[in-house]
Amino acid sequence: MFFKILFSYLIGNLRIEVTGYYIERFINLCNNNHILTWNVKKGKQSNVLLNIEIKKLKEVIKLAKKVKCKVKIKSKKGLPFILNRYKKRKMFAISLIIIIILIAASSKFIWNIEVRQEEGNKIENIEQDLSDVGLKIGKLKSKIDTKEIINKIRLKREDIAWLGIEIKGTNAIVKIVKATEKPKIIDQNEYCNIVSDKEGIITKINAQKGTAQVKVGDTVTNGTVLIGGWMEGKYTGVRYVHAEGEVEAKIWYTKSKTIKYNSKEKEKTGNEEKKYGIKINNFEINLGKGVSKFKIYDTMITEKKFQIFSDFYLPISIIEKNNKELKEVEKTYTPEEAKNIGVQELQGELEEQIEDKKSIVNKNVNAYEKEDSVEIFVTFEVLEKIGTNEKI
Amino acid sequence: MKNSRKNRINKILEIPQEVYSNVPKIIITGFDEMIIENFKGILEYEDFYVRINTYLGIVNVNGFDLKLENMSEDDIKIDGKIESFDIERIE
Repeated sequence: MFFKILFSYLIGNLRIEVTGYYIERFINLCNNNHILTWNVKKGKQSNVLLNIEIKKLKEVIKLAKKVKCKVKIKSKKGLPFILNRYKKRKMFAISLIIIIILIAASSKFIWNIEVRQEEGNKIENIEQDLSDVGLKIGKLKSKIDTKEIINKIRLKREDIAWLGIEIKGTNAIVKIVKATEKPKIIDQNEYCNIVSDKEGIITKINAQKGTAQVKVGDTVTNGTVLIGGWMEGKYTGVRYVHAEGEVEAKIWYTKSKTIKYNSKEKEKTGNEEKKYGIKINNFEINLGKGVSKFKIYDTMITEKKFQIFSDFYLPISIIEKNNKELKEVEKTYTPEEAKNIGVQELQGELEEQIEDKKSIVNKNVNAYEKEDSVEIFVTFEVLEKIGTNEKI
Repeated sequence: MKNSRKNRINKILEIPQEVYSNVPKIIITGFDEMIIENFKGILEYEDFYVRINTYLGIVNVNGFDLKLENMSEDDIKIDGKIESFDIERIE
């Protein structure tokens, strides 16, 4: 009974009003003819409201005529009536089907290639190589053979330690680990010199094998032989060896900068403006005005691929242009101020360059004042170990 | 003769009376719902008064906002505020 009523909502049911004198007989007749009625409610006059299934309407009208009652349809409920309402909107249904087909079809292609690399160990031009080999945006997923691509790339490039391609949805994830460069180790049995790789003044030299070619206080340039790979004995004569030893030198790092007393600087005012656009493949559509309302501004462009699910990318991307207003500010410094600023900036730069800060021996600042600017030289003296092996 | 033997077997097997005969069964759940099994037909139906014919007699129900719901061909459910009901025996 209950399920029959539920089912009738699926196939459609009617609420009808029956007016007449023999309502009781009508209900009994319905019962005897196996017509399901529910929610029978007596009205104020000689009428009754009841629900019937849509299929039984003709039979009900026949029975009502028998007992001289009139039938009036009050309301219609159920799926068939809802569907009927949308029958007129054919274009809606068609476009819905087209969209579903398009989405299903677009899921067969690759729309995004994501290259994941280790921080600091970036491989250059890998995207170019990938597209040369066959992993391109817009390619059929079924035509991509990941094993073949991996083999081809590994043959092509030597600086890759490991490569994996994973296809998730419309997203191809390429994971790469860069191979560290092979250190050039000269065989212990081969003869070699120790050669300077920096310019500086020698402060300490200690030859364990071989003969020292420079003394403390000597100035060396790039390429000077520090420890020669041979030994001279009184009786043995010249004998070649693998040179070993430690050489420490004083090295100067110098940086210069000119700072003007009157300078124009650009400062952010804090005003921002966002503009959006849509990019389909290489075709760009700007939403809103293309020209900014600011006179001077910086533009940051961020592109975001449109995705439905986490790994389902579409070939549409949303472009966000962020315009930040700038204003020109004239600044005047006194010679003292200009000098301080320059020295601080240069010192910061130098300190970044030098790895071992403990080895800084001396800091030297020179400033030459001119008419409209000041030229600053900052020199750091650093004690460092120098020298690399070189074959004879 | 046949009937009485049937009755005896049914009594031994403890089959409910309303299943094997036309004896009506009246169930009142709370004061708002009444189910009558094995009914014959509706004699009178008003908002406040329902008269139902059964094989043993007539059941009269008084109340307010009475609604009818046919459970199946010989079950009927009366919904609404039931005030009183009485039975008329047919001899």
